[in-house]
Order: sequence, then structure tokens, then C-alpha cells
Amino acid sequence: MDVKLPKLGEGADSGVVVGIFVKEGDTIANGQAIMELENEKAVASIPSTAAGVVEKIYVKAGDRISVGAKILSVAGGGSAPAPAPAAAPAAAPAAKPAAKKVAAKPAPVVEDDEPVAESADEIVNENPFASPSVRKAAREFGIDLHKVAGDESGRITAEDIKNYIMRLMRAAARPAKVVAEAAPAAKPAPVSVDFSQWGPILKKPVTPLRKVIARRMSESWNSVARVTQFDDIDFTKLGELRKKFAADYEKKGVKLTLTPFVLKAVAATLKAHPIFNSSLDEVASEIVIKEYIHLGIAVDTEQGLMVPVIRDVDKKSMFDLAKELETLAAKARDRKISADEMKGGTFTISNQGAIGGAHFTPIINLPEVAILGLGRGAMKPVVRDGQIVARLLTPIALSYDHRVIDGGSAARFTVDLVKAFENFDEALVKI
Amino acid sequence: MDSIKTEIVVVGAGPGGYAAAFYAADLGKKVILIEREKKLGGVCLNRGCIPSKALLYATHQIVNSRESAHRGITFAEPKIEVDKLRAWKGSIIEKLAGGVASLAKMRGVTVITGRAYFEGSNKLRVETEQGQQFVEYDKAILAVGSAPAMPKAFDLGNPRVMTSTEALEVSDIPENLLVIGGGYIGMELGFVYSALGSKVTVVEAMDAILAGADADLARPVVANAKKSFKEIRLKARVTKMATVGKQIKVDSEFNGEKLSELYDRVLVSVGRVPNSADLGLENTKAVLDEKGFVKVNSQQQTDDPSIYAIGDIAGGILLAHKAHKEARNAVENIHGESGIFESIIPAVVFTDPELAWCGLTEAEAKEKGVAYVISKFPWSASGRALSFDRTDGITKMLIDPETERVLGVGICGAGAGELIAEAVLAMEMGATVEDIALTIHAHPTLSETLMECAEAFYGHATHTFTKRKSAE
Repeated sequence: MDVKLPKLGEGADSGVVVGIFVKEGDTIANGQAIMELENEKAVASIPSTAAGVVEKIYVKAGDRISVGAKILSVAGGGSAPAPAPAAAPAAAPAAKPAAKKVAAKPAPVVEDDEPVAESADEIVNENPFASPSVRKAAREFGIDLHKVAGDESGRITAEDIKNYIMRLMRAAARPAKVVAEAAPAAKPAPVSVDFSQWGPILKKPVTPLRKVIARRMSESWNSVARVTQFDDIDFTKLGELRKKFAADYEKKGVKLTLTPFVLKAVAATLKAHPIFNSSLDEVASEIVIKEYIHLGIAVDTEQGLMVPVIRDVDKKSMFDLAKELETLAAKARDRKISADEMKGGTFTISNQGAIGGAHFTPIINLPEVAILGLGRGAMKPVVRDGQIVARLLTPIALSYDHRVIDGGSAARFTVDLVKAFENFDEALVKI
Repeated sequence: MDSIKTEIVVVGAGPGGYAAAFYAADLGKKVILIEREKKLGGVCLNRGCIPSKALLYATHQIVNSRESAHRGITFAEPKIEVDKLRAWKGSIIEKLAGGVASLAKMRGVTVITGRAYFEGSNKLRVETEQGQQFVEYDKAILAVGSAPAMPKAFDLGNPRVMTSTEALEVSDIPENLLVIGGGYIGMELGFVYSALGSKVTVVEAMDAILAGADADLARPVVANAKKSFKEIRLKARVTKMATVGKQIKVDSEFNGEKLSELYDRVLVSVGRVPNSADLGLENTKAVLDEKGFVKVNSQQQTDDPSIYAIGDIAGGILLAHKAHKEARNAVENIHGESGIFESIIPAVVFTDPELAWCGLTEAEAKEKGVAYVISKFPWSASGRALSFDRTDGITKMLIDPETERVLGVGICGAGAGELIAEAVLAMEMGATVEDIALTIHAHPTLSETLMECAEAFYGHATHTFTKRKSAE
């Protein structure tokens, strides 16, 4: 049984093999990470879709491989991938002349939004078929059916054509892409400067991850009407709570940092201000308010910025959050994080406190509408009840998309956020 | 002389030409339709599809009456009045041609009767009974069709040597009829004349009758022809013909022997040639291929941007329904829409039994290296076929083993020409063989053979037992 590269998600259909975790002769389990692939989205570990003994490995580090490429073959065991393929109804127990080869859908890294083929030669549907009226519609819109992903057998419906057009429109609405791809003239042509004329230099290739960061930052920069609101939050109580319970957490093998406090406080504030937990759907002219709270945590890694997402923060205990944060941050730094684990965030937190610096103006992680940046907390003189006292003050910066959120809402959010931190409920921390 | 100006002129009022003219008019264009004959409808209506089907129907009654004795129904030997038969056939043509003319009138399509000749890319001269008439147009759609081929060696100038045109007139019932060419025209007319009482001999140069169809599908037709005709000679060749009194002396080679025989009539059905001569096409930029067909691109446009060509004159498969589709495509392209031929063209041979197919034949699949699995359902297992004594039929499907899509369908049997429609729709809709198997087909009908053929693919057709193929 062959293990092939599964679908990676929107806009990603190929990647460069960073490393392979298994060797020929190894016994692997279904779902076990077998290799690491770097693409324009992230570095993701790729799980096996079969179990058994690795017979042969077809790829090596440095190879650029595409979705569907054979990675390795396994012998024995060979169980089916997690979700069963959409098989034909079991009306036909009798022998079939030939097996119906429905491509097994890989479990983990599938994104609901199909990729839109953006280049002329990008074929997503090798064997498209559609009714005459659908073919006619496609002809009239100048759509090559090979670029429209149908169902697993390649069948394309009128709905698929409609969705494809919608995605094209959405893609066209992404300003950065337009600048980068459609209208290069709008951007000054890049000039190559010979920096070595002024002294010794070192050249490094721009990694795919760096390219993604660059593209996404430009997208946000070019499309969002960003405003950043500053404040300082009194972290004294939080610091005390952390100290008080750190040992308890430690005993259970988890380090209690300030981040779970931040997650909890932010989640509570988002609940009260759902507009900050929304996205702007420009195509449908709708603001999508999410009823779940999935928080992205910006993690600084050697390769660059990564944003793993912690799901349902409002429903998890401090302890679980602390534990999850630890594993996720480690995974991100070791580049073991899957693309799936970086998707679906509703609001991002960028905490630079551990490094240093005060206020900064974070860039919104599209399609979210707000981001909270935290600087390094420091003891500062504060007037409390007419007295000057020393308190631990942490600089915070809330960037929000003014297309969706007005200044008043942002100010109210900040006020509530400050309260959530300063009146943090001890019961939440206790374990 | 003044010219008439129009947006679209259609030359030729066959099933392609009038369809183009009507559709263009329906889309709001000013249209002129030029036809050299007084009756509209072209070969199909006047000398092809329609009269041949009328004759086949009529003569089939003769066969039926003769074959009822074992059902306890006996008829007297039928009396055949050829003049009345011809008149009845003619009345059908009249009705249809009149219908086409009135449809043209209702749409405001101007019909000019006369021969059209291109003076240039945007100007036609029409020779009418009233004299010359010039037509200036933006776009022309050429739909002048084809005519039966008559090789020079066979063209004795003797009306006893016929093409399909004359054979459909049924001037008399020859005692001995030689059919040269075992394609669909020769075989259909062979059945007409054999039912009327002629002793029919078919001479075919190739090693198969109805060579376009798969041999297993043609087999029931060949079997019935062997029963009804005097003889079918494959790999045979007519070398010479000469008039001898009221007969035709035919020299031929068959089985390494030289034969010399006398026939009362000879039907030459060896193909059709395009009507591209004497049209003045040399005054346009349109280009002909080596066989004389007008070259067109995928939009039906000739090398002259003002001139489109559809139907037989544009080559490919010479079928009225292909012309009809091309007519719509040509008009859509002129109208700024996009019409491209990517349709499945069914083929129907109205022999007894009928033979119809669509999509890939098995021979084509083999030649193209397309992977396929065959499923067949014999009509001997169909209750409906048994109920009218026509179990000499077969329904066959070519299936892509990987996707289970239907690649081609062939049907031989009574009414196959009607049955194939379901297969064409199934293929156009991208149906899988399972889709057909899961669709209820009324009982008892011949359409069930399609469902059971699809079921047989899975090894569980109700009315036939397929040995289970080795498990997956």
C-alpha cells in the first residue's frame, strides 16, 4: 500500500521535503508522522495513511513534491485511512470486475475551501465530467473544467462552477495578491543592490515560510484599516497568583507562565465583545461572528513566526491551557506542528514580554479583525488612593480593523480587558 | 441589380441549414435561407432518413404478416401496390417539407429558391427561376450537404444502376437486386427490397458488414440479412458493369473466382461525396480538404471568417443530428456565444433488427488504448423481447474500470434507435454504470436491458446469470 501526500489545504499543493522521520524496515502506525514538509503555509508534519512495515521510501529531503505524490509504501497491516472514503452503497456485495478506486480522503490536513487554480497550467481535476449545461456555463465564463475540483470522481456540478467563480472573486479581492500577481506594475520593480561594495555580506535564501510571512503581512497591511490602542495593565495580582500556584502546577509537570492568564482574560473579554471575534466576508458583504473562541499564539521560532491555535479557550481549564501551550510551543519550535494546528484562529495574541520591549503595533492576522500585543512588564510607580505605589505594569496594544470595529468599541474592549486582568478570579487558577 | 442585405444567409435547407436559419431568427437575426430545390428539408427529408424509414416501416409489415403463422394468425400473401406505397411515402415528405416552410415563414426567415454562388466573402449570387438575385451578408452558413457517390466505372447512364436517391423512389420491385457496399444505406435498403420480394445480393469490399459497429453488435443484423437476403459476399469486388437489354451484367471477384451475373437493378451505396463544387468557394477564403469537404475550426468557422460550414459539407460523420448540433454551435458563435462540438453523437442503423451505438466502440477503445470492461445483456433474457419474438438482440456497455463511467453503449435489436437515447443522455450527464443500475426501468420494456446490462457489470442482473468474476 502506498502512502501519498494528502491535500494540504488552501493554496498549497506542493512542498519541499524537510526531513523524513522513518526509514525502510520501520514499522509505522496509521496517523504517525512520517515526514516534514515545508510549503508556503508552514512546515507541517505529514501523517501516514497506512500502517505496516515501510518497504520503500520514494522521497528524500530537498525534494519538491506535490499532492498525490508517492511518499512511501508499506507492507502488511495496511489499514485504511481514518475517515472511510465515500464508497458506493453496499448494494453490491457480489464481486465487481474491478475495484472502484475512490481516492481515500486523507484525514488531517484537509481544508474545506478548495484551492483556486491560479496559474494557467494548474490542473486540479484530471478527469472532469459534467452535464452539457454545466459545460456550457463553464465555456461561457471561460473556465477550464480541469481547474475546478469536483467530487472525488471528478464530477462537476453547477454549484461547483458557482463556488469556483466565488473563490476567484475572493482571490481577486485579496489586495496583496492583486498587487503581487495581477498588477506587478503597481509595485516598484525590485532592484538588486550589490551590498558587498560596502563591506562583507552573507546571503541566505528566502525560505518558503518567510515568503508566506511576507505575503500575509503585506496582505494585512494593504487591506486592513488598522488602528492600535495602547494601555498598561496592572499585572501585580496576576504575578502573585502565578507565584502562588506555580509550584502546584510544577508538581503536575507543567510550568505556569503568564500566558494562560492572558488567554483566559482575553477569552472572557471576547465573550463580552463578540465583534472582536469576527471576520469580514467581503464577498458576501457579511460580518461573520464566531461562537467559538480559538486563540492564536504568535510563537517566535528560529525559522520565523508561527501562530499555532488553541481551540475553545473559554471552555478549557487553566491547567489544560498551560499544558497545551507547552506542547504547542515546543512543537512549533521543533517544526513539528501540522498545518491544521495553525488554522481556524479567531483572535491572536502576540506576547513579547519574555523578550522585552514595551508598546508595539501588531499587524492583524487576517481574516481575524483584532490582535493583542503584550510588552515586557516592569515595576512602575503608580498613584493608587493618592499614594505612589510600585506596581507591575504590562504595556498592551490592541490592533483592530476599523472597517469592522469602531474606536468606541475598542476603548470599551480595552477597559473590560484591563478589568479581566486586574480582577482575575483565583478560583480559575486553583488546581 | 440591387442586392438584398441580410445579417445571416444560410445556404442549403437540410436539417442543418433550416435549423441554423431558425435558431438565428429566434435570436433576432435577419436571415435568408437559400435552397436549390423547391421543397425544403434536404436529403434527410426528401431522399434519406425520412423516406427510408417510411419504406422500412411499410415493408416490415410484410415480414410481420409472414411471421405470424406460428402465433395462430395467418394472412393472405400481401399484395404490393408500388405506386400507392410511393404516394404514401411522398405524402409524408410533403407534410414535413410544408411544415419546415411554414416554420420558416412564422419566424420571418426569407426563403429563396435557387442555386447559390459565392461572388466573394460577403456576397452571393442566386440563380432563381425569376433570374439573378444578389445577397450581401455579414455571415454565411454553408449547409449544402452531400450526395451519394457514383464511381465513374459504375455510371452507365442507365436508371437501373441506382443510388439511394433512385432506390427510395421504388420504381419497381426488381427480381434480382445487387447492393454494392454493405454499409448502413446498402443494408437498410437491402431489407426494404428483400421484404418487397427482391432477391438481394450484397457485395462488400471489406471483411465485415456495417464495419463501423462492433462485430458482436452487428451479428444479429448479419444473421437476419443472411436469412432474408439471397447472399452476402465479403471481400468481394465489382470490376465491371454493362447494360444488357433490360438487365445489368455485373462482373465481380469473390473467393478468388471471377463471376459474371445479370441483375435487374444495382444499388451503388459506396459512400457520399460533399456538394462543394460549383459554389464559387474559390472566390472566398474557405479551404477544402483533399476529399472536398470544407475545413472548419471548432467553432464551425471556415478559413473565411465570414463563412461557417455545418453538416455533411463540413465533413466528419455524415448524420443529420450532427448537422443539427453544428447548426446551433455555428449560430451561437456568430451570436457571440461559445458553441463547441463536444457532444456524443449516436449512430443508428435502421436495419432489421436495428443497430445503435454511442460513445466509444470496443474497436475504438482498443485502438486508443482506453482501459475498459465489457458488460453484455442478451435479449433472450428479456421478457419484452420474447413477447414479440425478437430475442435477436444484445445490449452492451463499455465501462471505465476505474471510475465506472460509461464509455460507450451499443444496442442491437428491435427499437435500438429509440433505446440509445437513454445511453446518450447517461453519457452526457457523466453517469456511472451504477447510476444506470440504480435507475428504475419500467417493466416489461426493452429499456430494462440497459439496466440489466449495468447490473450485469456488478454480477447481479436479475434475468441473467453471470458467473462471479474472481473476488477483488
